[in-house]
Amino acid sequence: MNLIDFSGDAFVVAFALYCAAFILYALAVMGRRFRKRDPETHLAKWGKIAFVTATIGLIGHLVYFFTRWAGSGHVPVSNMYEFMSFLSMAIMIAFLVLYFIYKKSLLGLFALPLAILIMAYAAVFPQQVQPLIPSLQSYWLGIHVTLAALGDAFFAIGFIAGLMHLLRTVNFSRTDKASRREQLWLELCMFAIVILIGFIVSVYGFRTSGYQAEFNQTLVDPKTENSTIVKVEYNMPPLVAPYKSETESMQSFLGMKSPLMEAPSWMHGVNAGRKLNTVIWSLLTGVILYGLLRLILRKPLAKFIQPALNRLDPDDLDEISYRAIAIGFPVFTLGGLIFAMIWAEIAWGRFWGWDPKEVWALITWLFYSVYLHLRLSRGWQGKYSSWLSVIGFIVVMFTLVGVNLIIAGLHSYAGTD
Amino acid sequence: MSQGSKPLIQNTKCDCGHQNPTGTVLCEACGKPLTEEAEAQPVLEMRYDGVARRSQKANPGVIDLVWNFFSSVKVAIYLILFTLIGSSLGTIFPQESTFLNIDPSVYYKEEYGQLGHIYYLLGLSHTYTSWWFVLLLVMIGASLVICSLDRVLPLYKALSRQRIPKHMSFLTRQKVVYQGPVEEGGIEWVERVKPIIKKKGYRVRTDGGTLLAEKQRFSRWGPYVLHIGLIVFLLAVLGRNLPGLYMDEHVAFPQGEPVHIKNTSYYLLNDGFKVEFYTEDDMPEEFKGKNKVLPKEFQTQAVLYMCEANCDDLDKDPELVEVTRHNIEVNHPLNYKGLKAYQFDYDLTPILRSVSPVLVNSKSGKEYGKITLSINDPQRKYQAGEYTLTLTQTYTDFGLGDNGKPVNLSPNPNAPAFLFLIEGPDLPKEGIQYFYFPKQIDKERFNQEAINAQLAGGEELVSLDVLSMDDVDFAESTTYLNIRVDKAMPFIWVGCFIGMIGLIMGFYFTHRRIWLRIDDGILTLGAHTNKNWFGLRKEISAIFKGMNMEVDEKSLENNRGNKHESN
Repeated sequence: MNLIDFSGDAFVVAFALYCAAFILYALAVMGRRFRKRDPETHLAKWGKIAFVTATIGLIGHLVYFFTRWAGSGHVPVSNMYEFMSFLSMAIMIAFLVLYFIYKKSLLGLFALPLAILIMAYAAVFPQQVQPLIPSLQSYWLGIHVTLAALGDAFFAIGFIAGLMHLLRTVNFSRTDKASRREQLWLELCMFAIVILIGFIVSVYGFRTSGYQAEFNQTLVDPKTENSTIVKVEYNMPPLVAPYKSETESMQSFLGMKSPLMEAPSWMHGVNAGRKLNTVIWSLLTGVILYGLLRLILRKPLAKFIQPALNRLDPDDLDEISYRAIAIGFPVFTLGGLIFAMIWAEIAWGRFWGWDPKEVWALITWLFYSVYLHLRLSRGWQGKYSSWLSVIGFIVVMFTLVGVNLIIAGLHSYAGTD
Repeated sequence: MSQGSKPLIQNTKCDCGHQNPTGTVLCEACGKPLTEEAEAQPVLEMRYDGVARRSQKANPGVIDLVWNFFSSVKVAIYLILFTLIGSSLGTIFPQESTFLNIDPSVYYKEEYGQLGHIYYLLGLSHTYTSWWFVLLLVMIGASLVICSLDRVLPLYKALSRQRIPKHMSFLTRQKVVYQGPVEEGGIEWVERVKPIIKKKGYRVRTDGGTLLAEKQRFSRWGPYVLHIGLIVFLLAVLGRNLPGLYMDEHVAFPQGEPVHIKNTSYYLLNDGFKVEFYTEDDMPEEFKGKNKVLPKEFQTQAVLYMCEANCDDLDKDPELVEVTRHNIEVNHPLNYKGLKAYQFDYDLTPILRSVSPVLVNSKSGKEYGKITLSINDPQRKYQAGEYTLTLTQTYTDFGLGDNGKPVNLSPNPNAPAFLFLIEGPDLPKEGIQYFYFPKQIDKERFNQEAINAQLAGGEELVSLDVLSMDDVDFAESTTYLNIRVDKAMPFIWVGCFIGMIGLIMGFYFTHRRIWLRIDDGILTLGAHTNKNWFGLRKEISAIFKGMNMEVDEKSLENNRGNKHESN
């Protein structure tokens, strides 16, 4: 068994342990209401067990990281699979750091699902080791990417604590306009998270069933008007076929034998149709999942989660959120901007080139500086601050994922789906 | 506290006798709230320690108004937000600068349709060089300078002139508060607690039954140090626009020939270029059999020369002295005294560098001399035995115009051609015109023999012939290097470095202060920090523990007025 395979196994073990730790956290919170026992000792005991499980999971994750490094000869952050795996690991590290400062084990109840989701998202991408192209052959690859991801991970924990603060403080008994708006937006956040789960579920669902369809898409060069035909492979049933394409082969799905429609003309890129199809499936699955959850729980998800948090002090959550961002901000500045500039200067001869990824890293930085100014100089704390941490995390994820999927540029990784 | 709501006339003399400047919120000496607004706060707003800022002058003039505008954090936040939105707009479509040779007025319409054209018309296709974006950056710069100066000087004064006894209402309205009885007298208790607080890393000063403990005050300067770093950075970026500080050229270097780098006295020789690709074995399964080409390494063996003499003299060869050699790879540029050469692109098509034909007399078949004709840098006159060849015209990309006359189609060396005036034996006295195409393919394409026969009046009298392949010299490859000079770079890095120091000071250290006073056996403690209240409460609780007092961390929190509904 070679190192790369071993590393792959460690990845699976880490994933399983995270899932176990999440379930243990849920037990720690729910169990205190089930039986006749002292809620505090129950929470402390099971919270500790969950935390230890999560820590062992992180050790497994580190084993994955270093064995893959040894096996492939380069720091494993060079494609989407490796990067997202690293990000989830960094989130666990950031969680650990804040746990040691504040000793709030409930943070794990929310940090773990995030790490699990991102890890599952990582595994959507091809997992083979890819050789490095010349521009990536530099030790700066490891320094810049890992540190930037670590900064982002602290922002992620800031988001987690901010979201917990909102879930903790939102008042479901009030019906005035402002409260209603807040309930709605918070539920929308929950809905968005369920959609992401929907994406993961649909990818793995169709992957295990081995679904395949193939299209021949005609691409027209706008300048020369030459057309070329490319093959596009789908791994999900084509609700939407690529623009200007013919079905080469297609497994039938629930009696559907041909694509329902074709992508609109402005989505004429090679992968645009497939991406649109994936988005539609994720939405569909997500909506069904959300509907089911609502049917079972008979109340908004946020309202369901709220009681789990009622022992936490909202001010502490607010402070954890701010603290995570305050720790992450210098790390992100160094890794995501300064080291990025140094590497860009060495590799491309300019420290800044307004590449979309660079611009979005700058936008992330500007956004969190606005957050800090509003908080420190204008006294935005609690609710406002928490909402900003949620928006901030959306900006971070757009920088890391959205830019690659929608805009791309110099930072487009190989194998981006 | 908004600046706009301050009363016009204000009594700024405090009960303790200290005369405060206009705009002061908390008395500089004893900390008593001075404004009605501050008086009404259950927990004091401790920002900038309640001192008056420069922008809070009573009667502002024009300069004061500009100053006041830029000194507002609100304005700064808006500036950052506008920059943020502007930057994101620039990522919708690729910027013009990402393409080397395009006409943006056509390109955006063709490539991205009507929306792309609107994008171009709005000027968003060059967002980051547009006047409004640069203006935003300049305004951020101004805001950085003024905001910082407006606050840092008064804050510095306030923090270095702190008095130890504080007003009761100052203490009880801190965010961390404790009040309770102590058994000893004030002075004894304070003396006893002093070493315990000192152990926690505080600097402690006492004044009778009052105490002030403070640590890591330098953390307060963090934001301002960061702002200084950013100002240096922005100045360096703007400074690059000054002439002579910045150069950015893409230059082609055919192998084996030193090429002059414009506006410098340097020549760079491409002494060999190699490119390596990954083999099938290196590729992951998914790439195999798909004919995917993945480069492993590009390398230009570069030699840099300095021109010592005859640099501007076109007739003489410049005298070159080697100054350095370096194998340029991506991530490993050549760097010689600020001149940098980066691997940018390459072309493996061989390029004809020179030919060495002999002149053949068609009648006698005799060969004369061997001249070496450099394609890029031909001489004006050649001597082949008794024949003299004078170069009258050169073409880099020979073609025939609409009127059938020879024209140069482009400056690229696609089809080089030379027109000579040849004089010598067996030729008319005034000599003959002779077209020479060094490339075999062009010879046939343009029918060199027929042209020359026509020029000579019917039949070819002489011809230039290359006898063997040894007489043809090719550059095997061309490497494209990005030549840069950026004298502002050191300042950019210095700016980053200063900024980073500021961030570390501001975010990884916390300024904590503890005040306490004992009046008639009642201890009153107030504490303030710029962040991590949790840690401060824990520390105070530990200090009390050292004094054998059990005080719960959470109970130290001043909840006056902001009790949570659920608590």
